[in-house]
Amino acid sequence: MQNRGYLRVREIVAMILIIVGIKLSDSTPALLTQNVQNALWLVPMISCVCIFPSFLLMLYLLKKYKDKNLVQLLEEILGTVIGKIIGFIIFLFAFLSIALDSRNYVEQIKILYYPEGPSGLIFLVLFGVVFFGAKKGFEVIGFSSFIALPFIKVSAFFIVFLVLGNLLVQRIFPIFGSGLSDILIEGAAKASIFAELFFILIAYVSTRETDIFYKGSILAAIISLFEIVIFYFIYITVFDYNSVEKIAFPFHDITQFVSFGKFFSNIETIFMVFWLIAAFLKFMILIYLATWIFGAVFNIEDFEPLLLPFTFLIATLGTLPFNSIINELQFRNYLLNAMTPFLILLPVLLWLVALLRGGLRK
Amino acid sequence: MRQFKKSKDQEKKIKINKSLSKNIDEMKETFSYGLNKDFCMRTLEVKFSEYNACLFYYGSIVDGERINTHIIKPLLEQTGDKLSNIVTIENLEEVTDLEKAIQNVNSGKAILFIDNDEIAYAMDVAKFEYRAVSKAENESVIKGPQDAFTESLNANISLIRKQLHNHQLVNEAVQVGERSVNEVNILYIKDMVKDDLLSNLRERLENISIDSIRNIEVLEQHLEERPYSLIPTILYTERPDKATAFLEDGYIILLMNTSSACLIVPVTFWSFYHSPEDRYLRFLYGNFSRAIRLLCFYLTTMISATYVAIANFHSEMIPPDLLLAITASRERIPFPLVFEVLIMEIAFELIREAGVRIPNPLGPTIGIVGALILGQAAVEANIISPIIVIVAALSGLSSFGIPDLSMNFTVRILRFIFILAAASFGMLGLIGALILFFMYVVSIRSYGVPFFSPVAPNFKSSKDTVFRKVLKKEYFRPGFLDLKDSTKRNK
Repeated sequence: MQNRGYLRVREIVAMILIIVGIKLSDSTPALLTQNVQNALWLVPMISCVCIFPSFLLMLYLLKKYKDKNLVQLLEEILGTVIGKIIGFIIFLFAFLSIALDSRNYVEQIKILYYPEGPSGLIFLVLFGVVFFGAKKGFEVIGFSSFIALPFIKVSAFFIVFLVLGNLLVQRIFPIFGSGLSDILIEGAAKASIFAELFFILIAYVSTRETDIFYKGSILAAIISLFEIVIFYFIYITVFDYNSVEKIAFPFHDITQFVSFGKFFSNIETIFMVFWLIAAFLKFMILIYLATWIFGAVFNIEDFEPLLLPFTFLIATLGTLPFNSIINELQFRNYLLNAMTPFLILLPVLLWLVALLRGGLRK
Repeated sequence: MRQFKKSKDQEKKIKINKSLSKNIDEMKETFSYGLNKDFCMRTLEVKFSEYNACLFYYGSIVDGERINTHIIKPLLEQTGDKLSNIVTIENLEEVTDLEKAIQNVNSGKAILFIDNDEIAYAMDVAKFEYRAVSKAENESVIKGPQDAFTESLNANISLIRKQLHNHQLVNEAVQVGERSVNEVNILYIKDMVKDDLLSNLRERLENISIDSIRNIEVLEQHLEERPYSLIPTILYTERPDKATAFLEDGYIILLMNTSSACLIVPVTFWSFYHSPEDRYLRFLYGNFSRAIRLLCFYLTTMISATYVAIANFHSEMIPPDLLLAITASRERIPFPLVFEVLIMEIAFELIREAGVRIPNPLGPTIGIVGALILGQAAVEANIISPIIVIVAALSGLSSFGIPDLSMNFTVRILRFIFILAAASFGMLGLIGALILFFMYVVSIRSYGVPFFSPVAPNFKSSKDTVFRKVLKKEYFRPGFLDLKDSTKRNK
């Protein structure tokens, strides 16, 4: 592992902000509006409320059992076999969500910017870059994320600034959209849109300051929640629910919609640049994390050579679904729904076992 | 090579003989006396001991006057108890083996053998010819000292010591090369620099096994870790003030007698990005020039590639009026856009390369020819469109804003990579290439120091990176050097 102990919490924060925050720009909003209509912007909050206690509990356990990463913690509490099985399930979740996302992102690039380009080639370019980037190691990805983050966030802020004049705030009414119960169910079911928070726990011991890791990750999670809520709010108030339902990639539609003065009327390519940087980094981080989890589960110390086969597998899996609608509305929907109870209940289970076994008294 | 090494070892064993005539024979044979025209030998009778003695030196690299007045004259006239009280040379070294004596003659000393004495005396009378200290030609500044290193070690060290009055500034010599043994001088501030770094450097110098290292420029390539990399990992400068500033921050300087420049290790990206003038100018002015330089970095690497990407793949982004103008100017151009850009960029590189090699009196001519042919005529012949001339000129001009020669080459080569990436996949390709290149740069190290420190990874420093702070607010020396004393001034 190319980790020389230079990584700090600020790099971890940058990575979390990228992998969670980018949810505001992909097709997640389209997925969510199907059921909740114009209460879209409330869903992430409910999801966060559902999953955040579990995440905190996980951080608490990691802090209690010092110097252990996610998989080591599972093995410590549940025993080697069950720990490894659970770790493998987490790996599968991570792996599948990357694979499904990959199709999603390739479709975004293709439909919006290269309508005539073959998907296969875009896959090749995207994952070629991702593979070589991930190969540079977790530290380098962290540093790059840290340096790229300000640019990405400034461009996002710039979009908010430009679109402000087009908001029609009344569109958030009725405030609960299709009904309070719908939102609650959808919010709880899709709590796993924050699943990346759990994946990054594998890197818990890679920083020099594990003691402030939890502060950093909580802060990053809250900031990304705010960003997501703000952007979902903008989608609803700009497009209204009828359109958002039908728009696959509202972020890109916003970027095509805004203009910078009368002269620069089509500036989406500027935002595309920063979005692409974020997307590249997101896949680098996630593929690296997934491979890391796999390595931890199967006791592969030097797991970086696995990056190539995993990147290849992910790209292949991503090309499999018949079309992006099925990919998005069926597979990704199922996956998110399936991950939620697992991620919410796992920390509780761990905590209970640890409590019963007396591991917390240390 | 191995054979040579062996003979060198054998030579080492030869002690200086008590008999003068044997020593003379040995020296004569070694230096091909008679055949070798500038090798001189002067026999004399020393007055103080009344023994015969013989002096050897290279007439071309010593100061004849000094030998005359400070060695020969006293030896013939003065009486005294020992040699050191007779000759009036400031540097007198006693040598016991022949190999050392030979080396001394090679480096411009006069060697004195005295009959009945097992010690030879090496006296420093070297006078190598060198250029006078002149103005810095390649790294010029408007505000700031104008002197530059010259091809003399002593002059160069004097230029540094002139600015750095510190007894901890050490000048250590390491010998490199096997056939022609040259000296590399390592300068550092002893109570500041990290010992690991120093021993790492010494080890690398000692591990160089080659016939000869003529100068710093060759040494640079023997010292670097990644000879195939696009990124330079050693800084080369001809400015003594820049070198001194680095010394003060705890870096290490390498000098040789034969180069009018020095090497600085370790480096970060910022060493290549900064110019000493940034610090001589007032806070705002200096930072303004850094902002312009940052723009230069962007323009020279990316502007052509961005143009190719936008015009080929994202033309909806160009405002309609401008788009029409571009289309109109391209109407009669037969080539694809990327080809046009490449023609122009290569043409610019041609002018540049020719401009460096061209004899001085012809300089203006090529300027006119270049400008006329490549600018006007090519446009009028519909080979390239005027807008490409602007783009290429912009990227070419910006490359001169980069203060370091090595970095200059890096961005110039990089520009072509980016143009090809942009031509193949528009912004997707360009950003992909950019991010991979960037990650590569972040991942490399120069003597263990990450290239983008102190930004990523973070280190305590005075935050002199893209912009600098007010000088009064700089408290720390670069933390990535892990210095023994990392505080510049206390808060």
